[in-house]
Parts: sequence; C-alpha cells; structure tokens
Amino acid sequence: MPSGFVGKNKCVPLQELVSRVPDGASLAIGGSFLHRGPFAFVRELIRQGRTGLEIIKQSPGYDIDILCRAGAVKKVRAGIVAMEGNFGLAPWYRRAVERQEVVLEEHACASLTAGLRAAAYGIPFQPCAGLHGSDLPALNGWVSLPDPYSDRAPVYAIPAIEPDYAVLLASEIDRQGNVRIAGTPHWDRIMSRASRSVLVVAEKLVDTQIFQDNPESTVVPYFMVEAFSVVPGGAWPGSCWPSYPIDYPAVESYLAEGDEALAAHLAKAPEAATQEKAR
Amino acid sequence: MSANWSGFSYIAINLARFIRPGEITFSGVNSTLPMLACLLAKKTLDEDFIYINVAGGVDPEPSSVPLSSSDPVLAQRSASIFANEDFYDLCCRGRMDLTFLGAAQIDGEGCANNSAIGDWHRPKVRLPGGGGGAVMLPTALRACTWRTEHSTRTLVNKLDFRTSWGGFHGVVTPIATFIKRDGRLALDSWHPQASLEEVRERTGFEFDASTAHPTDPPTQRELQALASLDPDGQFERDARVSLR
Repeated sequence: MPSGFVGKNKCVPLQELVSRVPDGASLAIGGSFLHRGPFAFVRELIRQGRTGLEIIKQSPGYDIDILCRAGAVKKVRAGIVAMEGNFGLAPWYRRAVERQEVVLEEHACASLTAGLRAAAYGIPFQPCAGLHGSDLPALNGWVSLPDPYSDRAPVYAIPAIEPDYAVLLASEIDRQGNVRIAGTPHWDRIMSRASRSVLVVAEKLVDTQIFQDNPESTVVPYFMVEAFSVVPGGAWPGSCWPSYPIDYPAVESYLAEGDEALAAHLAKAPEAATQEKAR
Repeated sequence: MSANWSGFSYIAINLARFIRPGEITFSGVNSTLPMLACLLAKKTLDEDFIYINVAGGVDPEPSSVPLSSSDPVLAQRSASIFANEDFYDLCCRGRMDLTFLGAAQIDGEGCANNSAIGDWHRPKVRLPGGGGGAVMLPTALRACTWRTEHSTRTLVNKLDFRTSWGGFHGVVTPIATFIKRDGRLALDSWHPQASLEEVRERTGFEFDASTAHPTDPPTQRELQALASLDPDGQFERDARVSLR
C-alpha cells in the first residue's frame, strides 16, 4: 500500500466514512471536552453498532461517555474525562470504569502526547518530563531511563501509541482533504501525524485555491487524509469555533437516564436530519 | 459594597492573589474558578502578567465569560494560538511560573489525587483523572489548587491514589488559604468567619499555623472586578460554595 492517500475527491457520505472503521479499531479523537470534537462521526459509530473500540484522547468527555453508554468501547487511554461546564463527571464512562466494563489506561495528558509523538517520530518510546512521584508510572509499567549524556534526573519513557485512525473535525476542507482548523488545534496535529490514517468530518467544503493562498494555515495536508464527510453542525452538542457555541440544553437532555433519552438525542443530531433527507 | 467574603469570592480572589506581575500564568480545563481568578487579576494588578489558557489564548479579551473554562471565547482577540502541546512543553522545560490544577484529594505535602476514591482497580468512585497534573505539578515553578469543600475527605492525611506529586504552592478552600513551607502545606490565613480551630477540625492532615492570621478582607477593586465578571451572579450560584 502506498504511504499517502491520493484522490481528487475524497468526500463521501458520513455512513460510508464511518463504515471504514472495523470493530476493535483504535481511534484518536480530535478536539477537547465539548469543543470541536467529531461528534457526528462518534454517533454514527453507535448507529452502525460498532464494538470493541479503543479510544485515545487526552481530554474526552461527551464522546467517550456516549460510546460507553452504547457499549462500543473496550479500552480508553485518556488524561482527564469530564463533561465540563456545570455537568461534572461523565456518568456512563464513570459507571463503565467502576463496573470494569472498559479497561482504562490512565495517562497525564502530556504522557499520552509523548506516546503519540513516539509514533509520529518513528521511535519506540518518547521521554516525558515530570511524572516522578506519581503512582501512574507504576500503574502503567512505565520505565524510567538514565540520561546517557549527563547526571540529570532519570526520565520516564512512554511507549509509542499508533492509533489506527485519527478522527478529526475540520473547520474547512477542500476536495482533496486538506484540513484547516479555526482557533486552537488542541492535539489534532500530533494525532494526525501519529495515526495510520486520518478520517475527517468537516464543517465546510472550500476551494483548493483558499488553501493555496495560505498554505501555512493548513494543519493536515491532503495526503494524510483517507476520506472525509461534510457535516455542518458535526460538533453538536459541542462547539465549533467560530460557527456555534455549546448547545447546553442538548447536553442536559443527553444526560437524562434511559434508552429513550439516548435514542431521542441521536435522532435530534444534525447528521440524522441530513441522512433522513438523503433517503 | 460590603467588604465581607462569600465562599465564592474567597476562593476566586485568593486564587487571584497568587498571580504575580510579569509571570506566565495558566488556567486549564474544568477550572472555572482559576479562569475567573486570571481574568480578575487582569483587572486588579497594575502591572502586566502573561495569561495563557487551554483554549490557546494568550492575553485574550473574551467578549463574554464562558461556563466552560476551555471555551474558545477564551482565545478571542488573542494575537496567537499557543496550543496544548505548546503549554505543556513550556511547563516541562521549567518556564511555567504559575499553573492552576484541580484536585479531588490533597495531602499535607500538597500532592493530589484526581483518579479514584477507593482502590484504583476497583474504585468506589472513578474520578476524571489528573489531566496535566502528573507532568505539570512537579515541573511548574508554582502550582495552585482550590476545593469548594473543606473537609477531612478532601484534605486528607493519605491519598487514595497519588495522581500527581510535587506539592502545591497554594491551596484555597472556602475557609482557608494554605501556602507550602519547607515541603508541607502551612496555613497562611483563614476566613474571618471561620477560625483556626475550625480549620484544624476540618483538615485531615497536620499543618503549621505559627504565622497564620485571618485573611485580609477583599478590596473594593477586587470585589468590583469580580462583580464585573459575574454581573448577574450566575457563576456564584453555579459554584454552590458554602462555608459549612
């Protein structure tokens, strides 16, 4: 298989994009907490009944919670998990861990980034500052290595983390799959470099000329992107700067107990309306 | 305007009092009170400090104060985006002067548990996790935290799990402000409506209080700055901070 992804038009419907992910795949999910996550993709994983997923993200929240609620997750690698705002803990994630239904590999955000960097840099591990005195290294079997060049303190070596897919939400994309992000990219850039493939949900399709005019603002070049879908509102109920803020009432309704609340939430999502129209 | 503290103003303003001119100061996710403290210090300090945050903002001028402390409005009018990898790297290389970090349990050395109540492997409560803590607490030049509950289950003699080592420089609760001295948290001051005895009774670890005193009242400037950030009292209501 060639190393890059060619194609003059990589735009596919969301169902087709998500169908590329098999059961048991590992996914690095972009964004942070309720901000610019590819949540339409996450919900479509649930609609398609995906199971056994490994989710990799420094600060997941709604995404890991709804996937745990649907029973789609086998393993989580994360630094901090919460709904944020006034919503507190992510309740279905919390239950899944407490009942030992999912395996948690607890990281510091920077140690997860170090694992992704190791994969991106093509090395088996990446030293990470800090961590000394924490119970996390022993928990995860992280080894501390001496500095071979000076007598400075030993450094923990974090093993490489190479996700099968990085799933990102782009503010803008062109037909070839060049990705732009408005505001902070969070960890999306290192996720794209560390993963075997990149799948993108984009807010808006624009001409390649716009990317050519300002190539320095491209976060992911097209050849790293396998395919994408255009889903306006794809970060709902989270925010996508500067297009829309968090839909707090929708997050609150999501948090209601019961299968009906989940079904109603899934039906209310922007991509559900688009898919209905396409039928 | 009354010069009395509420539990909410006590935490927000005393966190802001840790912010020093000229320094790089960071506030992160799940950190509404530190976000308010940073925005407040921009109004109460005469000298500049460098405020960076998890939304990528560098000295931003947000058009509104968000409920989510990682909201992208916290990068409004920022002239650069200093993203997650950047601020962690900055901290790791020893250039983060002050960071605010959350903690569920804090021990007498100022270490933090953010992971689990009970055994980590069979938790009674699975907590959010420490986020940056395990890397930032030992590498930041100073780190401060807050708890809206001051009790022997939040300020403990022994952590259920040590997520982060390194020791907070400062801890603020609704009734007390601790500052690290000789590797342990020492009581700096207490809420004037509380007392040294009450702080001792409600704290699970031993602490030095030899120089402690009632906290100086809030200044008009501090109270006005806080009121301008929370004009209709929404943040104060949401924070649900009570002294007892």
